[in-house]
Amino acid sequence: MDMPFPAGRAIVVKPRPGFKSLLPVLAVAAVAILPALPFVNPYIQAVVVRALIFIALGQAWNIVAGIGGLLSLGHGVFLGLGCYVTGILFNEIGLPPWFGVWAGVLVALLVALVMGSMTLRMRGVFFALATVAVSLACDQLARHFVDLTGGDSGLALRFLGDSLWAAQSRSPTPFVYAGLGFVVAYYGITRIILTSRFGLEMRAVRDDETAAAASGVRVFRTKLLGFLVSAAMTALAGGLYMQFYQAIDPESAFGLGQAIQLQLPALIGGLGTAAGPIVGGALMIVLSEVTNWGSTKLNLVGVDVLVYGLVLLMVVLWAPKGLVGMLSRRRVRR
Amino acid sequence: MNDLGTALVPVGQALLSGVLVGGVYGLLSIGFSLAFGVMRIVNFAHGDLVMYGMYVGVVASTSFGIDPLYALPVSFVLMALLGAAQYLLVFKRFVGSATLQQLLAAIGLGLVLQMLAQVVFGADTRSAPSMFSARYILIGPLFISAAQVVAFVVAVVATAAVEALLIATRWGKAVRAVADDIEAAEIVGLSAQTINITAFALACGLAGVAGTIMVTYYPTDPSKGLSLMPIAIIATTIGGLGSIRGSFLGGIFCGVVQQLTAMLWSSALQDIPLYVLLLFFIAYRPTGLFGLRTE
Repeated sequence: MDMPFPAGRAIVVKPRPGFKSLLPVLAVAAVAILPALPFVNPYIQAVVVRALIFIALGQAWNIVAGIGGLLSLGHGVFLGLGCYVTGILFNEIGLPPWFGVWAGVLVALLVALVMGSMTLRMRGVFFALATVAVSLACDQLARHFVDLTGGDSGLALRFLGDSLWAAQSRSPTPFVYAGLGFVVAYYGITRIILTSRFGLEMRAVRDDETAAAASGVRVFRTKLLGFLVSAAMTALAGGLYMQFYQAIDPESAFGLGQAIQLQLPALIGGLGTAAGPIVGGALMIVLSEVTNWGSTKLNLVGVDVLVYGLVLLMVVLWAPKGLVGMLSRRRVRR
Repeated sequence: MNDLGTALVPVGQALLSGVLVGGVYGLLSIGFSLAFGVMRIVNFAHGDLVMYGMYVGVVASTSFGIDPLYALPVSFVLMALLGAAQYLLVFKRFVGSATLQQLLAAIGLGLVLQMLAQVVFGADTRSAPSMFSARYILIGPLFISAAQVVAFVVAVVATAAVEALLIATRWGKAVRAVADDIEAAEIVGLSAQTINITAFALACGLAGVAGTIMVTYYPTDPSKGLSLMPIAIIATTIGGLGSIRGSFLGGIFCGVVQQLTAMLWSSALQDIPLYVLLLFFIAYRPTGLFGLRTE
């Protein structure tokens, strides 16, 4: 499969075959055999699940922000809707999450459709401000309707013990595989979007809206579709989040801290790349483990948020292309 | 007739408190609006400067025993300096377009500022009464807090002063020139960098003033800055991003809507109509009521 182009300006850097193409397979295999290893206790497995969940969520945000260049600061809305709808349907009418999560996806799609069609025709900054407003509105609503959402203290799933029907488990092992499935699927979706006409159109809109429109891209439709895809993926992963954590509250659904946790994987790893959120998500969880350990040692509350803020600032100022971007740029130079 | 009169008292009360609270919302929005109008910077850390302004009042009152009102100039200068530092360290490279990176940098900066406040001042709620706090003025059946009246007056004076600076002074003319077309402004010999620093410092100084005046009737904690940002965003969008007068009136509008919602519906949901209004303004009138006509 050689490119029919003669040597010249290399636009596509063809990866060397061998190790690099094996890397994803090796990574999946490593996570898959992890629970079977003797030294891997449930705590480590739970950390791995958290990493996988945030990689999946980061991958979903990456589609709207990295590929589409849309400044969504409120993806917690879709995570929260996925969690709350799944949880409420299970607690109130016993609908298992296997079905409930799709209702969550549907609600998220509706909210995204209303938000998107009202704001995406305007300049990006208005969309960004609107996403902030919608997450705050969701926060107030979730705190107010206590009967349904549990108010400030949040919503806890009725726990049935190990049950496939209710997608619940005492051990984190099933969630390792579920999380792995999500990460593989979302990575695949991102790769497909990146290589498709739709992905090309999204990137064209991101880089220059006017030029894209002049080349026949339907700008508004492309932006809206990208936003919908990303919202649906976030809400679906929200279902996994809910089953693993067994609870959700307004702060961890719609708070700014959560919104930043959704963004960091793609930002650290590399915006707009399929591998970025994976590298970044893994790093972010390591970071959060270290700061958690540090803040309990030092007895300081809020160190994790300080670290997140600093990392956010440092990445944006000094490494806007993320780790993957830095590495691949070096390869091109060579 | 008498029944109608008693029924209207709560409405009058809500309108009056709304206007008074809204004046300060306006004051904290004009700085946010100025930074956007001149430099296209959406400063999500603006609220955190308001919060630091509140702590200036707290420190003046508890450590020095000075009335927070006398600390207003100090607060202005300190926050203006902090703003200039922020501009040079973070925002300078983003002037001209509100990109994803710029918004994220502002959020990161805001988080760092918030956590530093928590380390320095602790997470407790603090307040700083002024000589007007706990005094109330009765106008017929309506009552208002003297501290809020003073705050409203300060807000009006500060807004008028900023408008006058922008309209009547040479500096203001330069700022408007840079905001209009940065390259053309540099061609005619203006130093865009100097003008941007001063404009950003002014925006942040205003945040400090808003904070210090607010803390005389509204207790603070490190998360207050973040919780004030939505109001600044909504007031500015409704009034018109970049318009000083518009943002001030937008703030008053927000205050009135909040108070009316709290009276008629629920105080826990007092911001919901504002969020809905924000969406409608973005969709149907993104220039706001007084915003920049051209883009």
